[in-house]
This record gives sequence, structure tokens and C-alpha cells, in this order.
Amino acid sequence: MQAYLLNLGVLISIYSILAITLNFIMGYAGIFSLAHAVFFGVGAYTGALVAMSLSASIFVTVPIAMVVAGVLSLALALPALRVRGEYFVAASLGLQVLAVTVFSEWKSVTGGIGGLIGIPPVDLVGYQIYRPAAFFPLSLAVLVLVLVATRLLVHSSFGRSLTAIRDSESAAESFGKNVPLIKTISVVISAALAAIAGVLYAHYLAFINVESFTLDTSVLVMAMVIIGGTGTAAGPVVGAALLLLLPGLLSYMSFLPQTQIGAIQQIIYGLGMAVLMIFRPGGLVGRSKAKARTRPKDPDTEAQAPASRPAEAAR
Amino acid sequence: MTASAATNAAARPVEAPEVLLEIRNLEKHFGGVHAVSNVSMDLRAGIVTTLVGPNGAGKTTLFNLITGHLVRSGGSLRWLGRDIAGMKPYRIARLGIARTFQDLRLFNDMTVEENILTVMEPGALPFSLSGPSAREKRAKVEHVMERTDLIDKAHVRAIDLAYAERKFLSLARIMAADARLWLLDEPASGLDPNSYETFLRLLREEVAAGVTVCIIEHNLDIVVGISDRIAFLDRGRLLADGEPKSVLENPELTAIYFGDRA
Ligand SMILES: Nc1ncnc2c1ncn2[C@@H]1O[C@H](COP(=O)(O)OP(=O)(O)O)[C@@H](O)[C@H]1O
Ligand SMILES: [Mg+2]
Repeated sequence: MQAYLLNLGVLISIYSILAITLNFIMGYAGIFSLAHAVFFGVGAYTGALVAMSLSASIFVTVPIAMVVAGVLSLALALPALRVRGEYFVAASLGLQVLAVTVFSEWKSVTGGIGGLIGIPPVDLVGYQIYRPAAFFPLSLAVLVLVLVATRLLVHSSFGRSLTAIRDSESAAESFGKNVPLIKTISVVISAALAAIAGVLYAHYLAFINVESFTLDTSVLVMAMVIIGGTGTAAGPVVGAALLLLLPGLLSYMSFLPQTQIGAIQQIIYGLGMAVLMIFRPGGLVGRSKAKARTRPKDPDTEAQAPASRPAEAAR
Repeated sequence: MTASAATNAAARPVEAPEVLLEIRNLEKHFGGVHAVSNVSMDLRAGIVTTLVGPNGAGKTTLFNLITGHLVRSGGSLRWLGRDIAGMKPYRIARLGIARTFQDLRLFNDMTVEENILTVMEPGALPFSLSGPSAREKRAKVEHVMERTDLIDKAHVRAIDLAYAERKFLSLARIMAADARLWLLDEPASGLDPNSYETFLRLLREEVAAGVTVCIIEHNLDIVVGISDRIAFLDRGRLLADGEPKSVLENPELTAIYFGDRA
């Protein structure tokens, strides 16, 4: 039982990191990415390869994985952020599909479908951390660090620029903001931080393959963000915990037919998400009434204001 | 006609003030619509220019061409002698040209304070290494909020403000931006008389402090009260450009303006 809970705690920490880093671009920059699992995967493969060939020290694996994921994210950000938002979603979907192919076909590096096995445990200043009782505090500590780092960023001048761009791109640029550059930096930061989750995941399981980094994972993480509350501090963690606890909770309900638990789970997911979005469109942690939705966003195309005739305006 | 009218307006001081923005033969076509058609004019330092003209005359389009939000179909734009046509909006903004939008485009989910603060932070780095210190920025934000009567709303989100407050937040942003030229797109439309007075006072103070203003405005009382010069646009063409009186007393122009054109 204890092992079960610790295992769940580790997974919730890792997925929370993914949800927090996706929320950073979704909630604050308004960039919707379906490729978040790619950077999770790049982090995991890079961390595993570095640990197997160079050093398993977290101070070696994590920085290298962050740099690799950050640089690769430029391949997505540079072309896609120069055009409108919808294109980014499409481009990210393309990258996700491409990455799954690379993960499963580049056998000499990723081990193909079989994946990488025998990944050494993470080394923290000389201590090998592999037992769940030790790994859970580590993953929790990393989660807290990532959470603090993103909060600091959101409340810095950079975070304000991101939110300004999300609310009105044309107004932001007319106050001197280099919109493509700022968006690109945010995508790089998000990808690099997501890679940390990948490194933890690779060490924890000691085995990785492409199945953990598919479109399903990207969609799951996006669901965690939306259900928890896009653009909130606690929402992504709440969303990650809820979606990972749900399967376990369902299997404890002994009155449910155990053979169909998978299907029942899907139905509850689907219904829950639809009901939530109707009654709490801002997510569980978000504002109960998303007031922003009741007033149209300032359009980025010039709107024709109602004619203010001189006589009226003089009132 | 344009050139001579412009020099008239500027002729009262001993020497004409320096030209900040030189617009020559500017053109903008949307398909078959000539939104701006062969417009030439100068915006000179310290001179308040008002753009008037019926709806659809091309006033907002002219602003969009100056700020780089639209790409011109022809003609030239020079800022202090330097060609700015084709430059990205953020670069033009950094040269010292700031604007408001007819539909405001506030940063709706940010508080009043954040809306003002963020225009003082154009840099892309997460933490600014140069520029004013955090404390100086906060002090300036306070000052701007006090002048625009928004100090009690500092922590209210822009979307939750009343109409007049939203208009003043739009002004507060431009006041914080430290620009040399302001392009104001119908900043006073729909204001109640009190707000209106506050707006005029603010504008006069800023002009006295050295800001050059070009303003789109329908209310002819304001126009006469604050303008040094009026430019009259209709169907993309600049029909007149000169002292307020001479433009407003032209019966042909008022006929167009009040809509009873032949
Ligand atoms: N982005 C655009 N695309 C197509 N037509 C436009 C666009 N912006 C303005 N127009 C057209 O250009 C003309 C001038 O519009 P505008 O500059 O907004 O007028 P004003 O601000 O003087 O009321 C109008 O006929 C308008 O429909
Ligand atoms: Mg207009």
C-alpha cells in the first residue's frame, strides 16, 4: 500500500511538472501546444543516454537534457510563432507525430520500439536514489523548484509581456514588445523545464520507450491544465493529481464491474470534462465565472466603432 | 495646398518647429478601396494636429500605416529624417511613436497597475538588466494612476473597469510609455462631461511637457479648443490641412462632415 502511494506520488510530481510547464505557455502566452510530450521524451532519452554513457549525476543529466530540449524547441517555435495561433497548434501536432516516428525508428539512439533499458538510478551528490521512499521526496523537491521558477517568471517583466501579448498582440507590439522573440523564449523555457520531468521519469522507471511520449500524453497533459485551471498557479498540480488518482479511485469502487473498468474510466473522464467546462470554464482552480468570456476580447483587426456624431459626442 | 496650409499653422512662432514625422504621397489600398490616397503632411514638434473626417475616411488606417500595423501600398514615411516604412511595429514604437486604439485593446486580464507597468518594460529578457529600477517604475506607475484618477483601481483587472475608466487606462498606458509622438484614436468619444474635462486637462499638461499629439476626434468643440491645426480627410484624401478656423469655416468641408454631400 505504501509503495503504491509513493509510486503515485512520484508520477503526480512528474506529470505536475509537465502540466505546470505547459500551463506556462498555454495560460500566460496563449500558445496551445500538442507537442509537450515531445520535450518530455527528449528529456527522458537525453537523460537516459547521458546517465548510461557519461554520468548519472542529476547536475549533469538535467542541464544537458534542458539544453537539448530547449534547442529542439526552436525548430517548432521559430517557424510557427511568426504566423497566427492556429498554425502553432497544427505545427505542434506535426512535430508530435514526427517525434514519435523518430523515437521508434532511430534504433541506434532510442532503442526503437524496445526502448532503452538499464538506465542507472539518479545520483545526487554521491547517493544513488532508486527506492520510491527516497525518490518521492526528490521528485517533490524538483516539482517545488519548477513551480517557484515559473511563478517568479510569471511575475517578472517577462511574464507581464507574455500576458500582454496574449491579451492584445497589436497593443503589445505598439508598446515596443518584440512579439515573436518573447513567444519563442517562452516556448524554449517551457520545453527545457519539461525535459526535467523526462530525466526524472527515465531514472525512476530505469526503462523508457516511445509509448510514454505519444500524442496521448500530450493530450493528457493538456487536459490536466484545462481541468485544473489554465493560467492559475495551483491548477496544473490539481489537474495532474486528479487525473492520475482517478483510475485508482475507480478500481476501489468494488461495485463497478472490474472487467470494464477501462471503459467506465473513459466515460467518467469524458462526462466529467464536459460538465466541468460547462459549469467552471476556468477549471477547478480558475475563477468560477470566466468574466473575460462575457466581453469579447479586443479584436486584432480594426473594428469599426459606432459612429460618434459630433452632436452626440458633445453631450 | 497642403504644404502652404501646414506652413501657415507653423508660421506663428519665429521659426517652424522641427518636423518629427514626414508623410509623403502615402497610399493604402484594400482591394479596390483607396483607404488612404496620396496623403502628404508633416507632424511638427509641439504642434497638436487633429484629424477629422467622416467615418471610413481613412483616419485609423493612416495611424496604422504610421505605426507599421499596416504596410503601405505606396509613398514614404520618415521619422526625424529616417525612413520607417516597412519597419515592424515594435521597432517604430521604440523610436518614440506611441498610439491608442479606437477599440482600446487594453490588457484585459491584467490589473490597472500591470497594464501601465508592462508598457515600461519592452525588453524580452526575463529580468531587465538596464533601464529604470523596479522602484522607479513603481513610482512612475503610481504617478500616472494618480493623474488619471485610477489609483483606487490599481488592483482591478482592466476588463472589470467602467467605460470611462477604460478610456483613461488607455491614456495612462501611453503616458507611461515615454514617447515623443502620440497618436490618439478617438480618445474622448463617449466620455461624460466631467471625464471630458479631466481628459482635456491631461492632454494640455502633456503637450506643455513637450509631447507632440495627433488626435482623431469628432467633437468640434474639442477640436477647436486644443488643436493648432486640423487635417481633414475624406475617402482617403486630405482635403484640407491648416488652422482650425479656416478648415472649420469652409462650407464645403462642413457639408461633407455633416453628411449632406451632394
Ligand atoms: N484591414 C482592413 N481591410 C480592409 N479594409 C479596411 C481595413 N481597414 C480599413 N479598411 C477600410 O478602409 C476605409 C477607411 O477605414 P478607417 O481608416 O477605419 O476609417 P476611419 O478611421 O476614418 O473611420 C474603410 O472603407 C474601411 O472599411
Ligand atoms: Mg477610425
